[in-house]
Amino acid sequence: MKNRLKVLRAERDWTQARLAEALEVSRQTVNAIETGKFDPSLPLAFKIAVLFEMRIEDIFDPDGSGD
Amino acid sequence: MTEPIKRAWKGHWVATERDRKNQRLIVIWTLAWVIPFLVADAVIDNGWIENDLATYAIVSVVTLIGVAVLFAFGRFLRQADELMRKIQLDALALTVGVGIVAGFSYTLLAGAGLVDQAEAMTLVMIMTITYVVGVIAGYRRYA
Repeated sequence: MKNRLKVLRAERDWTQARLAEALEVSRQTVNAIETGKFDPSLPLAFKIAVLFEMRIEDIFDPDGSGD
Repeated sequence: MTEPIKRAWKGHWVATERDRKNQRLIVIWTLAWVIPFLVADAVIDNGWIENDLATYAIVSVVTLIGVAVLFAFGRFLRQADELMRKIQLDALALTVGVGIVAGFSYTLLAGAGLVDQAEAMTLVMIMTITYVVGVIAGYRRYA
């Protein structure tokens, strides 16, 4: 699953570590989501959407591959 | 020591502070289980206790501590970082699969008389190694 997490994070000038802290996950989890290696759970996807004040579908695109 | 190695050594790899705390608890409980297990194994093997009731009592204590290890691991999995949980569950699935396949294959070979009767400890070793390999493979996969 593709996503815009890296772009959104860059727009806010946040580091992966800062985003990870805000989401209460490890930095590696943020990195794996950004690189498309790992798809977040629905609760985490909602948490990301709330944090960026966007809809989930505006961040995540189901057309793509991931775990 | 380079920074990435230092970070990995300190457990920063796919782990939140809560994960590290829960991992420490698992290590403590595992040690609290392994040491009495080894003592009980020696006591039983050497026949130092001939009373069946005492043997049952010792085995019960070791088993109860083992159950505590399971609870600690369950708590770790429930509270783990999402990626950590996936890596752990993938490794556990691989371990169960390898354990079942290896166990049945060894039973067939033992039935055919090609190998000695399988010992439980052999299977435990195979499963432990598989779990460690599975976790390392997971870490590498998501690096």
